Amino acid sequence: MTAPSNEASATPPRRALDRRLIAAGQGARRWLGLAIGLGLAAGLAVIAQALLLAHVVTALIFRHEAAAALALPLASLAGLLLLRAALSFAAERAAHHAAAAVKLSLRRTMLDHLFALGPAYAAGERSADLAATLLDGVEALEPYLARYLPQMALVALVPLAILAAIFPVDWISFLVLLVTGPIIPVFMVFVGYRAEAINRRQWRELLTMSARFLDAVQGITTLRLFGRARDEIALIGRIADEYRRATMAGLRIAFLTSAVLEFFASLSIALVAVLFGARLLHGHIGFFPAFFVLLLVPEFFLPLRGLATHYHARMTALAAAGRIFDVLDTPPATTWGDAVPPSGPLSLRCAGLTIAHEPGQTVLHGIDCAFPAGTLTAIVGRSGAGKSTLAAALLGFVAPHSGAVLVNDDTALTALDREAWWAQLAYVPQTPRVFAGTIAANLRLARPEADDAALREALRRARLLDEIDRLPAGIETSIGDGGAGLSGGQVQRLALARAFLRDARLLILDEATAHLDLETEAEIAAAIADLARGRTAILIAHRLATVRRADRILVLEGGRLAESGTHDELLARGGAYAALLGAAEAPCAT
Amino acid sequence: MRDLIRLLRLYAPYRAWVLAGVALGLLTVLANFALLALSGWFLAATGVAGLAGYAAQNVFNFFTPAAGVRFFATLRVLARYAGRLVDHEATFRLLARLRMVAYAGLEPLAPVGLAGERGGDLLSRLVADIDRLGDFFLRVVSPFVIAAAAALVMALGFAIVSPAAGLLLLLGLTIAGIAVPLASLGLGRNPARAAVAVQVQLRADLVDSVQGMAELLTCNASGAMAARVDAASVALLAAQRRLAAIAGFGAAAILLASGLTMLAMLPLAGTLAAAHRIAGPVIALLALGAMAAFEAVAPLPAAFQLLGGMAESARRVFDLLDRPPPVAEPASSPPRPARLDLRLDGVSLRYPGAAHAALAGIDLAIAEGEHVTILGRSGAGKTSLFNLLLRFAPPAAGSATLGGVDLATIRGDDLRSLFTVVSQTTAIFAGTLRDNLLLARPDADDAALWRALETARLADFVSTRPGGLDSLVGEAGAKLSGGEARRLSLARAALRATPFLLLDEPTEGLDPLTEAEFRRALAGLAAGRTVIAITHRLDHLADDDRVVMLEQGRIVADGRFGALRRGEGPVARLSRLREMSRHF
Repeated sequence: MTAPSNEASATPPRRALDRRLIAAGQGARRWLGLAIGLGLAAGLAVIAQALLLAHVVTALIFRHEAAAALALPLASLAGLLLLRAALSFAAERAAHHAAAAVKLSLRRTMLDHLFALGPAYAAGERSADLAATLLDGVEALEPYLARYLPQMALVALVPLAILAAIFPVDWISFLVLLVTGPIIPVFMVFVGYRAEAINRRQWRELLTMSARFLDAVQGITTLRLFGRARDEIALIGRIADEYRRATMAGLRIAFLTSAVLEFFASLSIALVAVLFGARLLHGHIGFFPAFFVLLLVPEFFLPLRGLATHYHARMTALAAAGRIFDVLDTPPATTWGDAVPPSGPLSLRCAGLTIAHEPGQTVLHGIDCAFPAGTLTAIVGRSGAGKSTLAAALLGFVAPHSGAVLVNDDTALTALDREAWWAQLAYVPQTPRVFAGTIAANLRLARPEADDAALREALRRARLLDEIDRLPAGIETSIGDGGAGLSGGQVQRLALARAFLRDARLLILDEATAHLDLETEAEIAAAIADLARGRTAILIAHRLATVRRADRILVLEGGRLAESGTHDELLARGGAYAALLGAAEAPCAT
Repeated sequence: MRDLIRLLRLYAPYRAWVLAGVALGLLTVLANFALLALSGWFLAATGVAGLAGYAAQNVFNFFTPAAGVRFFATLRVLARYAGRLVDHEATFRLLARLRMVAYAGLEPLAPVGLAGERGGDLLSRLVADIDRLGDFFLRVVSPFVIAAAAALVMALGFAIVSPAAGLLLLLGLTIAGIAVPLASLGLGRNPARAAVAVQVQLRADLVDSVQGMAELLTCNASGAMAARVDAASVALLAAQRRLAAIAGFGAAAILLASGLTMLAMLPLAGTLAAAHRIAGPVIALLALGAMAAFEAVAPLPAAFQLLGGMAESARRVFDLLDRPPPVAEPASSPPRPARLDLRLDGVSLRYPGAAHAALAGIDLAIAEGEHVTILGRSGAGKTSLFNLLLRFAPPAAGSATLGGVDLATIRGDDLRSLFTVVSQTTAIFAGTLRDNLLLARPDADDAALWRALETARLADFVSTRPGGLDSLVGEAGAKLSGGEARRLSLARAALRATPFLLLDEPTEGLDPLTEAEFRRALAGLAAGRTVIAITHRLDHLADDDRVVMLEQGRIVADGRFGALRRGEGPVARLSRLREMSRHF
């Protein structure tokens, strides 16, 4: 066992990953070192225990000593056992500390980095995956850091210590272990590559199978509607069968690796025992060294077997680590300065604003438009036209590829301090988030120091107060994850109440597209009109019904500004806006 | 516990696999035990014979025990390899069976019986539970059975040598395998509960952080949220630290129990040998055997850990599967009536556990070929009406007939083969476009598929895809945009030439131009069928359209849109509201 584990040297990128993981936690390296040191000490205690045990058994069998005469070695054995137990306990604690440091720091760093990357990166499809990585992905590192890594080090160290202990006692057994020991890693390098690839594929397919079943369960109503649900049961069985056959073919080879490992371990025990037996029979060697070595041989192979048991933990952890470092290695798209936004009325202007999410995938093409101070500007266009991207650019969530967003015609948005810029505005997204907590806590996000009277006033202006007052706990009602559910319309108005509370110079509002009945829609429209009054307001409109009152309407088409003007002007022109409006109000063809 | 026994009963068809897995596992443990015990005895016996002089050496049977050592060494390897294969084979079969049983149980419940207080995550929880239960045999049942059987066999083996030695071994195994794991489980109950509670809060905060990022940033509240997450993270680690300490304590206690058993075995064996009750070399057998025996109970702490969670999972799965199906299925259906006129007389509907009736006293007649729009706020009973027509929910009172035949006498699948539903929630499955289309009509040929795509105005889109009909969609394939997914469900509808077309707000969330395209495609499909459309909006209604308005489960208006709009009823009120919101 001179080489460290084959797996470490076989895949260099993973080594780099290990180093990064350990470096992430403060003091993790020291705790891990301590865990390994304690594990090694426990290994040495095993050797001492074997020595004492062999002494006691020899005395009992060959010197026919009474048990009472062996009180001292027996007591020492008990002491050693206690020491081993203590060492194993301490090693476990130390390893946990190492993992804890890494987990805490990675979760902290990753969340901070996500906040720096902003919603353009974190929101949307990726969001569920990111949240899962932050919690479960980080948690999955624990068994890897706390068990697998120390075990890896012990795989190299403990067998070496055992070899060193056997060498002076019996060189023949030493040779047997010296030969069979390294065969294992060498063999595993050859077969291991293949087994590792198989294992990884199996692991992935297992997840796919599970996802496929979830797909079928979630679509069960659709399948029933098509009268296909019964067929699906047979299909689930058939797919599982195919998967099982393919997997078992792979596993036969994968398990062979560990079978070979076991074979060498078993064979070594048998070989050592038989070789000793022959020499003992002819009186060439004493019982004491023979028994001592026999006790140590299983321990020689034990750490190797331990490695195999943490295999799946390792797969999960490495996949999670990959995802975590993918996030950490993504540089923020936007850069910010430290300028303070000007005071007084706020106007915005886009000058040749071009935005590309990826090179060659331009979402906005050279937009020139103005959002004069104190006016309401509506942005319309079909989905994918670039409305939300324009809003994201004004918020500073995406960086211009070329051109700029100018504040009061003179300061580039990117020159401002980001916190200071956001302090100037209230933003209502298309699907507002209800945070886990009370209604009051949800509102105080916008202004932490607001008193209850201010919260109630904001709710009143958002036309939500009456409904909140009817709840048993009023504004102290828990909502969000694990709390009471709010209807879509109530969530919209809660977000508007936040914006009222924020009382900012600039309002950027992305209108909801979801299910709202006409009554609620009318209430929200009125609240929005109140909110926009006296501010520089920008409204991303999905419902054309709400744009007529805007001072100006910008019509986007395929990432370009198609036309702009008031409702009447645009209608008279008969262009893109008129077409949108026509489509929205044509009688149903059915 | 009863649920776990019920779970075990599902294993019946794979009895042979399960038994073989357990037998091989037992063989592995016993072979290891025998290997070490025999080796110990062998060394001591050869040593004794070697000292006893030439004569003793010659009579000593060297080869039988030496062969035994090699035999047990080989047996252990083979049994373990075969055992792992059989275990996995059994596990895969059991998981497949579990999934099939669960799916068959879910099918009659969907969708009404699956609606629960836990909402949308009910199904993903169920799938996670089933995945977890798939390991029940491998990680819980098998270790317990093997440990119990092995412990008895090994203790019995020792008892043949000396009853006291057998008892001592059994005692040690019981402490290490049952007492210590149970104690650490008990000690860990509170910190484990605390960890779960913190984890729930942490998950909520993390999801909030990621999905509410825009608001957190623009409210300058990201710092506060990061601090909150950090505090929860620290609290979670504190709970985990206590759990790790308890686990470490348990591991140390097991180590101690096994060591002390062996330690106690030594003076016992020495005394027995001194009294000539056993031969000297048997001391080595007892010492090494006692050491090796504890391999049998090594997996038990983990099995105990899993047991509680498995019982929870089994309870959740069976609770769901035990829900009574919302509708009773007749054995066969009457012949299809000549005219498919729908008629509801005084129909009401109430979901189990609901405070209010979803539908109350509905009188409604829809003639074959008629086009009707159902209006109403959310919760007014529009979807319940569809559930009733599709026999997903039974009427609590009144009669619902199709061409004079009571709906309750028609088998659900036969009834639903008359209907096609287009909604915003139609599931698109991971797979090819063709797979997704064939769901609607398994025997359709490519020409029929292309015609359907043509009708849904999706043919251009599909023909520009490199894979054509074999392009992947969903999970692994390309994402369909909202409009494309809706039109795919239209193409499915086009494949099914059913007399009824039910539209459940299929254009919700689409932009006006995309919606207009969808509606043009829909028009081609609607001709010649009975169409019932649900909406909460008045756009796209023509004056001579028939409109039925629901409010709190009752019909409050039924007539032509033009007349109702100009009258004084609820439709007129709604219509004025729309005008107002346009000119706020």
